[in-house]
Amino acid sequence: MTASGPGGNIYDLGYQPYTGPRLGRRSAVRALFSQSIRACYGIGRGGRAKIAPFTLAAIAVLPAILAVGIAAIAARAGPAAGAIGDASPIRYETYHGLVGILIMLFCAAQAPELFGRDQRYGVLPLYFSRVLTRPDYALAKVLGLMVSLFAVAVAPYLILFIGRVFVAPDPATGLAHEIAVVPKFVLQAVLVAGLLGGLASLIAAWTPRRAYATATIIAVFIIPPIIIAIIAAQASQDLARAIVLFSPGDVLDGTNAAIFGSVPDSVVVAQVALPGWAYLAAAGVGIAGSVGLTVRRYLRIAT
Amino acid sequence: MPLIALRDLTKHYPRGVVALDGLTLDLEPGIIGLVGANGAGKSTLIRILLGLLEPTSGEATVMDLDVRTDGTTIRQFVGYMPEYDCLPPDTSATDFVTHMARMSGLPSTAARERTAEVLRHVGLYEERYRAIGGYSTGMKQRVKLAQALVHDPRLLLLDEPTNGLDPAGRDEMLALVRRTGTEFGIAVVVASHLLGEIERVCDFLVAIDAGRLLRAAPLGAFTQRTGVLAVEVEEGEAALTATLIARGLHAVADGRTVLLEVTEDRQYDLVRDAVADLGLPLVRMEQRRQSLEDLFRDDVPPPPSPPVTPVGEGTSA
Repeated sequence: MTASGPGGNIYDLGYQPYTGPRLGRRSAVRALFSQSIRACYGIGRGGRAKIAPFTLAAIAVLPAILAVGIAAIAARAGPAAGAIGDASPIRYETYHGLVGILIMLFCAAQAPELFGRDQRYGVLPLYFSRVLTRPDYALAKVLGLMVSLFAVAVAPYLILFIGRVFVAPDPATGLAHEIAVVPKFVLQAVLVAGLLGGLASLIAAWTPRRAYATATIIAVFIIPPIIIAIIAAQASQDLARAIVLFSPGDVLDGTNAAIFGSVPDSVVVAQVALPGWAYLAAAGVGIAGSVGLTVRRYLRIAT
Repeated sequence: MPLIALRDLTKHYPRGVVALDGLTLDLEPGIIGLVGANGAGKSTLIRILLGLLEPTSGEATVMDLDVRTDGTTIRQFVGYMPEYDCLPPDTSATDFVTHMARMSGLPSTAARERTAEVLRHVGLYEERYRAIGGYSTGMKQRVKLAQALVHDPRLLLLDEPTNGLDPAGRDEMLALVRRTGTEFGIAVVVASHLLGEIERVCDFLVAIDAGRLLRAAPLGAFTQRTGVLAVEVEEGEAALTATLIARGLHAVADGRTVLLEVTEDRQYDLVRDAVADLGLPLVRMEQRRQSLEDLFRDDVPPPPSPPVTPVGEGTSA
C-alpha cells in the first residue's frame, strides 16, 4: 500500500514482527532503576523538572567548594595554614549538620515524583502486566532514589577530600593523611541516602498526592527532633532517650557523631548520651524496615 | 493446545462479590470477543489471565502456562490495554512507549525501533513527540494500544478499547484491532459491553454474565440464533404481517416496519416473495441484532416486539 504526495511516497511496509532478543525481567528492572535515577534529577523531562534537584545539589556542594577555596588561599599563608584549616567550620564531621536538610528537601521534592506519578495516572497496571514483578518495581525505584541521594550526599565530601589532598604542601602526604576518612564519609553518606531515601519512598508510595507527600516527608524529618527536644527540656531525659531513636533526623546526627568521633549537633543527642552503635543500628533497622514496608505496599496495592 | 484454557475458574472479591463463577472454556487463537454487561466479570478474567489477580479457585492457562506460577513468562508474550486512563500526561508518546518496551525486556535500541513501528501502525505521526496530556481521547487510546503491542506479543488483551470514543473514533479503533489481529497474526481478546461493536471485529464470541459462561461460539452461530429481520415498507405493513404469519413466520408490525425472527436462509425468500406478491413498496430490509439483554435471556425465544426503530433512520433506502 502506498500513498503519494507532493513530498514523495509513503510506503507502508506492513507489520514487522520482532525477532530480536527479549532480555526479560533483569533487563527490565535495570532499565527501571536507571530511569528512576534520571527521573530523580529531572533528566528526560522539561527544564522545570531539573530546577529543584540541581539547585539543591548545587547548594549542597557549595560549602565544600568554599572550604577548598579558603584552604587554597590559606595555604599561601605558610605554616599557619593547618591552623586555619582546622578552624574552618566546614569539615568532614560538620558537613552533615550543614547540608542534611538539603538532602531531606531533595527527598521531599523528588520522591513524590518518583512514586506518586505512576499511581496518580494509573500506570501501575502497565508495569505489573509486564515482566517485572511488584517487588521488582518497588526495589528498582527505592534503589534509584537512594543512589541519587547518595550522589548528592557524597559529592561534597569528595570535593573536600580532593581539595585537602591537593592543598596540602605535598599531595602524597596529603593523601596518606586524608585517606582514612574516606570509609567514614562513605558510610555516613550511605546511611543518609538509605534512611532518608527509604522513609521518603515509604511515605511517597502511600501518598500519591504530590503536595501531601512532600509535606509529610518534611514533617517526618523536622517535627520529631523538635518534640524530643521539648520532652528532654520539659519532661524527662529518660523518655527522650527512649524515643530519640525514632527520630530519623536525630539518628543521622548520632551516626555522624559516632562515625567521625565528634560532638553531635543536636543538644538532645549529646545529652541522652546513647552509645554510637545504637544510632548505627537504628539507621540500619530504619533502612531495612522502610524498604520492606515499601515493597509490601506495592504487593498489596490494588491495580 | 488451546491458547487459553479455563477450568472451573472462580474469583470472589471481599464482601461476597462473585466476579467469576466456575468458568470453563477453551479458546483457540483468533480474534475473540468477550461480551457482557458492566460487572459481568470481563475485566476480572483479563486480569487473571495476566497474573495480576489470583483466582480464588480453578485453573487458568495461557499458552499452556499456569497463570498462578508462570505469570512472568506469560506477561512477556502478552500485551494488555486497560480500560481506564493509564498514561502520564507530561511524557511524549515516544518516550512513554519506549519506556514500556524496556519494561518488557527489550534492549534500548530495539525498544526505540519498535516504538517508531507501532506508533506508525496505530496512526500517530508528528504528534508522538508532544506531551500526551494534550492528546485527544482517540489519540490516547492509540497510545494505549501501541504500548500493548510494542513488545510484539503473541496475545493481546484489550479491555473496552473504544471507551470514550466518538463514532468515527470507534470505527477507526475497531478497524485497527481487526487489522492487528488479521495481518499480524496476533491473537486478540477484546472485552466490550457493546455487542454491536464487538461483532464487527471478532471471529469468535464469548458471552458472560454475572461471572458465568452464557455462550461461546463462532460469531456466525450467535447472529444466526439471535437474528431479527426488519422489513420496512412504505405502506401495507399490516397486510405483510398477516401474509408472513400465514406463511409460517413469526412476524410483528412495528410502525412501518415488520419485524420477524429469522433462523434459516429460506425465510429470506419467503419475505421477498410475500413483498413481491403484495406489490408493496419496499424501503429496506436489515438484519437487527438483539440487545445484549435479549442475548443473555438464554433459552427464551426473542420477544415479539424488539426495540423501536430509532428516529430519523426510516428515510434512507
